[in-house]
Amino acid sequence: MLEVKQVSKLYENRRGVEQMDFSMSRGEIVGFLGPNGAGKTTTMRMITGYLNPTRGSILVDGLSMADHPKKARSKIGYLPETPPLYPEMTVQAYLRFIADLRDIPVREQKPRIGEVVEKLGLQGREKQIIRSLSKGYKQRIGLAQAILHQPDLLILDEPTSGLDPKQIIEIRGLIRELGENHTVLLSTHILPEVNAICNRVLIINQGRIVLDDRPDNIGSSMGETFEMSVEIKGPREDVIRQLGTMPEIGGVKEADEPLETDAETVKLRLTSADRTDIREAVFYKLASLGYPILEMKRESLSLEDVFLKLTTTEEKGAEAETAAEEVEEHA
Amino acid sequence: MRRMLAICRKELQMYFYSPTAYVAFAFYFLISGYFFSVSFIGYMTTDVRLLFGNIMVVYLFVIPLLTMRLVSDELRQGTDELLLTSPASITEIIGGKFLAALTVQLTLVVVSLIYPWIMSAYGPIDQPVLWLSYLSLFLLGATMMAIGLFASTLSAHQMVSGIVAFAMLLILWMIDWLGDSILVSARDALQKFSIVGRTSNLQKGVFDLPDVFFYVTLIVVFLVLSVQVLERKRWR
Repeated sequence: MLEVKQVSKLYENRRGVEQMDFSMSRGEIVGFLGPNGAGKTTTMRMITGYLNPTRGSILVDGLSMADHPKKARSKIGYLPETPPLYPEMTVQAYLRFIADLRDIPVREQKPRIGEVVEKLGLQGREKQIIRSLSKGYKQRIGLAQAILHQPDLLILDEPTSGLDPKQIIEIRGLIRELGENHTVLLSTHILPEVNAICNRVLIINQGRIVLDDRPDNIGSSMGETFEMSVEIKGPREDVIRQLGTMPEIGGVKEADEPLETDAETVKLRLTSADRTDIREAVFYKLASLGYPILEMKRESLSLEDVFLKLTTTEEKGAEAETAAEEVEEHA
Repeated sequence: MRRMLAICRKELQMYFYSPTAYVAFAFYFLISGYFFSVSFIGYMTTDVRLLFGNIMVVYLFVIPLLTMRLVSDELRQGTDELLLTSPASITEIIGGKFLAALTVQLTLVVVSLIYPWIMSAYGPIDQPVLWLSYLSLFLLGATMMAIGLFASTLSAHQMVSGIVAFAMLLILWMIDWLGDSILVSARDALQKFSIVGRTSNLQKGVFDLPDVFFYVTLIVVFLVLSVQVLERKRWR
């Protein structure tokens, strides 16, 4: 669906995008993740044809952006970071204009606009001037604009930025719904968003891709050992001693959370000796000892941890710190 | 072509929504009406030629007001990202915008026909002079619109675009004055480039094809320059 081949955007005095290389197949929802200034917007602008890359090529559904720009652009729906609206126009007039611009035949315009208006919950607002609408509605009109011509590929630049939590949930739901019929590339610097929507994540930092994986794989693939936490009913010392004798287990640590007052249960954090899954072994061991397991959970690195690890090891310094601050803000 | 018309229609709507256009129109009718009253009542003549010099001066102020937001506003609001990522080519975008400006210019010209119409009630009017003068007015205005459109691609700030347009127009307006004082040897050459000087033949009732070509060429040059400026933005 989309192929980005060795694309670079070079600027004289600041970092652009270097050797970006990835492809997306039909039906994927890909999250594009990175701290501010990592090159997300620049990359998206190159994919949509707003900017030309300095080097490399971009193919949309097999069509080269450089050789067939009109055809390639017509396959893409794009929502820039600030929705590109004309505040003086009414919602209806704006969508009409987009329909004309996007070559939707006159006869199909009305039903198509009606469909999109309904999908995005804009009913009753068609006659309103865009300026008078709230930020959430503006964002929806921006989305309406992007999907009006039923593009194969949808590029969304920070689709949930500046919205309140309720609106964020609504927009996420919409994107998930859109992902059923479209291929979606969305950028964000909010980590839970990727977990919530995407089935693949690309992390970029300082103009390069540093990670490309499924969001649920990321945690485990990054960790060196297998970690889990358990809550066991039984005498504390004996449980710890018994588990410590197991060859599979590399470390037993009491969870640092304050224990409940009744000493009946014990909470532990276990680390495997190698990278194998130790949950089964722990279950049988404790079962044979007659200590029931009340809770057992696999601990994997969260996206936050991965993100920080990746973006800070690249270059320790001020930039990494700001990234960390942002993550905290949105966590 | 359809995309160009869509952009043209949108621009016309924007003219209709924006207060600047109303102010510019009001200013145009106020000043040209004033000039008309002064010359018509003052000289008691039905000579239409007296009208046009004055109307052209008003263009100098009104046209930058009417063109300054054409592209600047898109750049400021980020809607250029919408247009440049749509299937419309930059030529279509600029073409649509110029077509809208041309429609507005045509309105200005047509509405000012009211002055000779009033005059015609008081005496005969030299028909060829009248219509050729109106042709010159339209061509001059269209050229000024193209220059204003070009100025608008240069900045995201309407005011800057407006001032640049005004400065460019003023220079082209007065370029032959150089020939009168400093560069006397280049006088004939400079006169050929004066956008006002080129109207004098038509306003005498003489149809001179090179004059028409002059304006059409200027329009094409500035439209092509506008397209190039926008095209360059892709390479930033």
